[in-house]
Amino acid sequence: MDKDLWAKMHGATVHFPIALVLFSFTLDGAGYAFSKLAMRRGLHSAGYWSMLLGAAGTVPAVVSGLVMTKGVLLGHDTLRVHHLFAWPTFALIVGIAIWRALGRGSTNERPSLGYVVAVGIAAVLVSATGYWGGEMVVGR
Amino acid sequence: MAVSAIASAAALGSAYGLSVDLRHRASQPSHQQATPEDWFERSTPRSPALVAQGRKAFLNSCAHCHGVDASGDEGPDLHELEGSDRYISRTILHGVKGEMPSFAKKLGSDDIVKLTAYLRSLK
Repeated sequence: MDKDLWAKMHGATVHFPIALVLFSFTLDGAGYAFSKLAMRRGLHSAGYWSMLLGAAGTVPAVVSGLVMTKGVLLGHDTLRVHHLFAWPTFALIVGIAIWRALGRGSTNERPSLGYVVAVGIAAVLVSATGYWGGEMVVGR
Repeated sequence: MAVSAIASAAALGSAYGLSVDLRHRASQPSHQQATPEDWFERSTPRSPALVAQGRKAFLNSCAHCHGVDASGDEGPDLHELEGSDRYISRTILHGVKGEMPSFAKKLGSDDIVKLTAYLRSLK
């Protein structure tokens, strides 16, 4: 087996939650901000599915990261910073996705302002997590 | 909202449980099987002085991967190693491909003897 398999898996899988959460925030944010827009419902529907898929994508990202580091939860230096962002981000994304999935109304209903703010926070946290992950790969 | 919080806690709990399991597995001895060369070979001397010197060498060269008490960290637990003294010496000298670097340039034959004596003392 390739000794770098799990590092490669982690590198591949992390991009799904990063992209999908950012995408979800952009879509739901645009739909919330432009409430008179004709395609508002389409934006919220896409935001809904992006968030759910992004949350599903966190699982392989987290599992591959844990296997790669042999179970290290925090670590040292840059890895520690990466993990300090990663764990709250993971918890928040899963919680938000469940919140949206169990919410009343159809998938293209306008979500609450609190929800949009929470997704915005998740988008910032996932970006920071990705930044510090990248620092370990290409940083000096 | 409560369900979301429970889901978040469950996700973190699962990650923690996986972490504990992975760290436990990482601390197990290596899967490599040693040959029973000790049937044919003289054992490395194991005086207390040699073991103490080996401990020093271990802390300098090995503890950052195998833990200060040799019970494993990034590298496996070194207590009650299987295989002969020669197997241990060769592993230190040549490393394990993809897992452990070679120490041929860093350690001399005396250091290897001391390290082997120390590792053999670990029960």
